[in-house]
Amino acid sequence: MITAREAGLISCDFCHSLNRSCIDESSSNLQMHCHVCGSGIHSRIPNSLSKTWALVIASLILYIPANMLPIMTVVLWGDGSPDNIMSGVLSLLYAGMWPLSLLIFVASIVIPIAKLLTLLGLLISVRRRSQWRPAERTQLYRITEFIGRWSMIDIFVIGILVALVKFGEVATVTPGVGALCFAAVVILTMIAAHSFDPRLIWDVIEEPTHE
Amino acid sequence: MMRYETGGLDYRTARACHECDLLQYIPILKNREVARCQRCKALLKRRHVQSLDRSLAFALTGLILFVVANMFPLISLKALGVSQHGTLFSATVSLFDAEMSFLGMLMLFTTILFPLFSLCGTIYILTSIRINHYSHWIAPMFRFLRSTDAWGMLEIFLLALIVAAVKLVDITEVNIGVSLYAFLLLIGTLATLNLTLNPDDVWDHLRKHAK
Repeated sequence: MITAREAGLISCDFCHSLNRSCIDESSSNLQMHCHVCGSGIHSRIPNSLSKTWALVIASLILYIPANMLPIMTVVLWGDGSPDNIMSGVLSLLYAGMWPLSLLIFVASIVIPIAKLLTLLGLLISVRRRSQWRPAERTQLYRITEFIGRWSMIDIFVIGILVALVKFGEVATVTPGVGALCFAAVVILTMIAAHSFDPRLIWDVIEEPTHE
Repeated sequence: MMRYETGGLDYRTARACHECDLLQYIPILKNREVARCQRCKALLKRRHVQSLDRSLAFALTGLILFVVANMFPLISLKALGVSQHGTLFSATVSLFDAEMSFLGMLMLFTTILFPLFSLCGTIYILTSIRINHYSHWIAPMFRFLRSTDAWGMLEIFLLALIVAAVKLVDITEVNIGVSLYAFLLLIGTLATLNLTLNPDDVWDHLRKHAK
C-alpha cells in the first residue's frame, strides 16, 4: 500500500486526476496546476493545521456572545422580550412543541459544540502524532464536515420571522447581535472543517516505515 | 526518496483517496455501484447510466421551479385583519431593512444566488457537453460549482420555514402560499439532481477533450 505522495503523484481535489509532482513541494513556493482542469494542486492543503486552529479559536470566542446576547427580540403590544438561543429552545419546550425544541437544540447547541470539540480533538491528535484509530477519526471528520451547515436553521428561522411578523404597533420581530455572532460561528466552523486536511491523520501512520 | 513504478497508471482505474491519499485501482463499475477506499472507506467513485442527460433534465426542471417558487408567497399570516405575505426573497430584504446586512447577505447568497447560479451553471455545462462545444469557461465554472455546493441551503430554509410556521400558528392564522408547492418540488428536484449528477462523468468529458 502506497500513497500518492510516496509515489510522487498529486491528486487533483476537484477532478481527481493524478498529476506527477515535478518539484519538492516543501521547499518551493511554486504553484502547480492540474493538467486536466487547471485548478491549483497540492499534495496536502498548505498550512492546514494553522488555518484550522485559527478558525476554531475564532469560532470558540464568538460562540460565547452567540449564546449570551439576544438572537432576536419579539415585541408584542410594545412589550419586548429578547430571546437567546437557549431561551428559544426552552420556550418551544414549555409550549409543548418538544420535537421542534429538540430539533433547534440539536442544530443550534449540540452540533456547533460537537463540531468544535471534534475539530479540536482532530487537531490535537494530529499534532501529537497519534496513531489511534485513523479510520474512525476520518469518519468523524466526514460527519463533521457534512452536518455543520444544518446549524444555519436558527438563523433562517429568525430571517423568516423578521420578514413575516410585521404588524406595526402590535407585533414585530427584530434580529439581535447574537444572531450575527452565531451565523459567524457557523460560517467559520464550516470553513475550518474544510481547511482541515484528513490526509494528515494518515501521514503519521506511514512515516515510521518510511524512515 | 524512493521511486515507485507508476508506468501504465491510468486515471480511469487508478485513484488516490481524497481523504487518506492511498493509491488504489478501482475496477470498472456497473450501474449504481459505488467504490469505497479500502483503507478509510471514503466514497471514491459511483456510476449511474446517462447521468448527464438525466441531470440536465432535472436542472431544467429545477430552474423552472425556482422561478415559480420566487414569484408568489410561500406563506402568509393573518392577524387583526392584516395579511402579511412572505416570499423567499422577503427574508433577505427584511434582514437588510433591520440593518443586519451581514445576515441579509448570508440569506441572499445561501437561498438565492448559490442555488440559482448552481442551476444555471449546471445547465450551461451539461448543454455544452451535449452539443460538444467546449469553452475554456467550463472547467473553472464546474470547479466553482463544486466548491460552493455546501453553501446552497434551500433545504435548510424549508425546515426553518416549518419551524417558523409552527411557532406562529398559536398566535396568528398561518396560510400556505401557492409557491410553497413549487418550493417543495424544487427541494425534491435538487436532491435528485445531486444524487444523479456524477461529477466524474463531467470531468471524464473534459479530460477526453483536453487530450
